[in-house]
Amino acid sequence: MKSREQEYKEIFIAEALEYFDALNRHISTLEKQPDDEQTLAEIFRLLHNMKANSKAIGYLQISDVSHKLETAFSLIRNKELAFSDEVVTVLFDGIDLLGELITNIDSNQEAEPDPVLLRNLDIIVENLSDSAIELAKVQKYNTSKNLSLSDLVYIQIKKLDHLMNLVGELMIDRDRILSISKDMGNEELKTVSSHLYRITEDLQYSVMDARLVNIGSLFNKFPRIVRDIAAAEKKEVDLALIGQNIQIDRNILQIMTDSLLHLVRNAVTHGLETPAEREKKGKPRIGQLTLSAKSDRENVLIELADDGKGMDFKLIKRTAVERHLVTADAAEALTETEVLSFLFEPGFSTAKEVTEFSGRGVGLDVVKNAIDSIGGRLMVKSEKGKGTTFTMQLPTSIAVKGALLFEVDEIFYAIPLIHTEQVIALDKDELHEVGDVMIADLKGEAITVVYLHELLNTDEAEMRLGDKNRLKGQVQNIVVVSYNNRKLGLIVDKLYRQQDIVVKPMSKPLDRIDLYGGVTLLGTGKVCLVLDVPATTRYFMNKRQAQEHA
Amino acid sequence: MAKQTETADKPAENGRAAATDTPAAESKKAAEPQPVKEEMVHLIVFKLGAEYYAIKIEQVKEVTITPATTRMPRTPHFVKGVANIRGDIIAIIDLEDRFNIRPAPLPDGLNPDLTYTLVIEAKDYSIGVVVKEMPQSLNLPMSKIDKAPSFLQDVNISENFIEGLARTGDRLIIVLDMHKILTQDEVRELPG
Repeated sequence: MKSREQEYKEIFIAEALEYFDALNRHISTLEKQPDDEQTLAEIFRLLHNMKANSKAIGYLQISDVSHKLETAFSLIRNKELAFSDEVVTVLFDGIDLLGELITNIDSNQEAEPDPVLLRNLDIIVENLSDSAIELAKVQKYNTSKNLSLSDLVYIQIKKLDHLMNLVGELMIDRDRILSISKDMGNEELKTVSSHLYRITEDLQYSVMDARLVNIGSLFNKFPRIVRDIAAAEKKEVDLALIGQNIQIDRNILQIMTDSLLHLVRNAVTHGLETPAEREKKGKPRIGQLTLSAKSDRENVLIELADDGKGMDFKLIKRTAVERHLVTADAAEALTETEVLSFLFEPGFSTAKEVTEFSGRGVGLDVVKNAIDSIGGRLMVKSEKGKGTTFTMQLPTSIAVKGALLFEVDEIFYAIPLIHTEQVIALDKDELHEVGDVMIADLKGEAITVVYLHELLNTDEAEMRLGDKNRLKGQVQNIVVVSYNNRKLGLIVDKLYRQQDIVVKPMSKPLDRIDLYGGVTLLGTGKVCLVLDVPATTRYFMNKRQAQEHA
Repeated sequence: MAKQTETADKPAENGRAAATDTPAAESKKAAEPQPVKEEMVHLIVFKLGAEYYAIKIEQVKEVTITPATTRMPRTPHFVKGVANIRGDIIAIIDLEDRFNIRPAPLPDGLNPDLTYTLVIEAKDYSIGVVVKEMPQSLNLPMSKIDKAPSFLQDVNISENFIEGLARTGDRLIIVLDMHKILTQDEVRELPG
């Protein structure tokens, strides 16, 4: 694979050549209609972008020539320079020079721009409308111009989505063929199918790669946004961006956009204190906000940290009690993580006032739902007086996921690895009936455990989630999943391997049943249901409450 | 693509169906100058409980022997599960359960484990409807379908879903509009 830098360079060249073509088109129009304001503005914009882009990537000659041309055009726009024949010639030459410089980037030869031409440019820029311009004749560069097409194609994301779906289908069939060829024992078929396996794998990664974009394309929008919110809130904020080069699936980033905006707004309005408050507390005047991204094996972690006042645990508890999410007694005993998980309850907000930017009744639950919908995880840590950190763990690709396969009552299920904490086998005697549920002690941590067969298949009226007698066998296989800072152990009948699966969304009319995130086909052709961990956890909580009331 | 399927063609041995025109023959005739030909309708007929029901062939994508179906816990009782039909994973539903129709005893000699699935094509998805006996194909003149039957109060199926009542010889056939059933069949989210 090419290095990132090489990729940037190629994108720059392709873009710059496109600009170059557009410039040529526009300046030809302008020659015929010198008063066309719109064309002039467009040329101006193109040159300005070219200057900025080339400067950013370090092609100073291009940036320099663009700058000179930009100045010339700004003079023309302000009517300080006439669009005369002589000037036109110089400008055409200048644009040709740009084209030359851009194409030379690739061929690595350090072509010096023609000094005569540069001087001509300087003359028209500096002499203003002085009639006594002496322009030297410039040697024509490109008498034999090569026509070339851009190396970059724009593609609709829809087409890439379609491609990804097809790859998904192909992978399912590939696994099926692989398993059939193993059964048949035909050597030739085995060779072909293992070759097919490698090709599809390459294809899968290529398509996934084509969908990746830099996280910076989203991050870079935030400095301006933060500035505006901070100004409106009369706060001083320094925003640090880290890891803009991390790559992520474009659709995942799209879905994350609103969530991230919401979190950033919250951080500035509610998290960070005013400069005066901060100084009183002995903190630096300027609030620090850090937006960072990093790769973590198959996932991308996006973290938003502020050094503001942190969450008010007492206020959250009080609001939770007021909203009957928990009894006052039970609230006292909650751990900090458990308290923070109330933040993600629908409509939960402790904000007392509505400002322009926050507190419009849209809670963190919206953020949570967005992240759930792409199979990611949202975590929050907070320390009073020190600040709050939100961590989003996102898959790099929507369609293909690592998953754990298991069986309950002869049905195959999968759970995405992003939600699994650990897998453990415990003796039945190590499970304890506590109230209406079973509890297991895992290295000092008490974890609620539920028998999936009971949760999924027993008639709802007969369900007894805390009854050990419902378990089959002595040794219990437990998949510990985690959602919303809570852990839950799922007892399964048989545990299978870990494998990459292609999740197909549920087709209508079953798409509204949220217990399932989708389905996948196993190599054997069998259908495997993909359990949605958030919905399963919610379903369990509801059933548990129903039992308590019964 | 031809909507007609193997199974749909088979029941020609049933004398009544053979007496009617096949669609191919019909279209040939239509091309020739003829006195106004009566509009025909092609139905797939199947049994729910003790009664005959039918769906217009345009709504049926294929008829197949019901493939292995994976049960999906915590879905409505009329959803039998999901099945893999040519790489598409579709929901399989049972209309007897859906409309509380009492199942009739199977005729002798029929294998209770062998059922048939009508794959119905809706706008953007497909769904399978499982029936116990092999569906039959039937061509009828449009006029044989009574659009506004008056007996409907006595049927479990909402009149919106019924397109009409067809009469052939001694048989009464209830013609269903599957698209209406599917659009109204909103499978609710899990009960809280």
